[in-house]
Amino acid sequence: MASLPFTNDIRTLRFLAGEMTQGELGDRVGVTRQTIAAIEQGKYSPSLEVAFRIARTFDKPLEAVFQWTDGMS
Amino acid sequence: MNFREKTAWLNAIAPLAAYTLYFGLILAGHPAGREVFPMLWLFGSIAIAHAITAMIGTAILWARAPKSERARADERDRAIHRRGATIAYYVLLVGTTIVAVYMPFVTSGVPLANAGLFAIVASGLVNSVVVLMSYRRGWHG
Repeated sequence: MASLPFTNDIRTLRFLAGEMTQGELGDRVGVTRQTIAAIEQGKYSPSLEVAFRIARTFDKPLEAVFQWTDGMS
Repeated sequence: MNFREKTAWLNAIAPLAAYTLYFGLILAGHPAGREVFPMLWLFGSIAIAHAITAMIGTAILWARAPKSERARADERDRAIHRRGATIAYYVLLVGTTIVAVYMPFVTSGVPLANAGLFAIVASGLVNSVVVLMSYRRGWHG
């Protein structure tokens, strides 16, 4: 399985948001807890809409949540 | 393992067991491999048994799953199922092409029908296995 060309800080942002659970974040974004877990683990690349919804939930810009990994095309 | 993954396991194991029995009996010389009515009875019985098993199994898994896991399929679930259906389509395409090429060489419709059923069952199994692997190993769709 190829790894994604970007990483994310969702776990940290959930912690800073008062230990928000994956299920709570999923409810706010409109996806399941399993999908949030898969995104955090780099097993699923979310749609642009879900990526923006996650960023808006934490009141952060998209690039504060998802970071492109240098050196990958 | 969540509800959807358990359902994917059920959808892989139930048809595998049912149609291994069906095609195993045919290979062992059951009349369903040569005659129409034995084939209809055997296939009908096994297909109905498979459908009932899948429905009861899904109902049990649904009833035992936490409420949060019963939520509607989201974009990841839909992407995984699209991937399974796309790959299964090509298996079905190849299978039916082989059946079509095989058609002029047989006089009875029963072997043809069984070959066609095998293509359908194989594509369904491929669909289930791809869905299962996508849940297990991750999906970068």
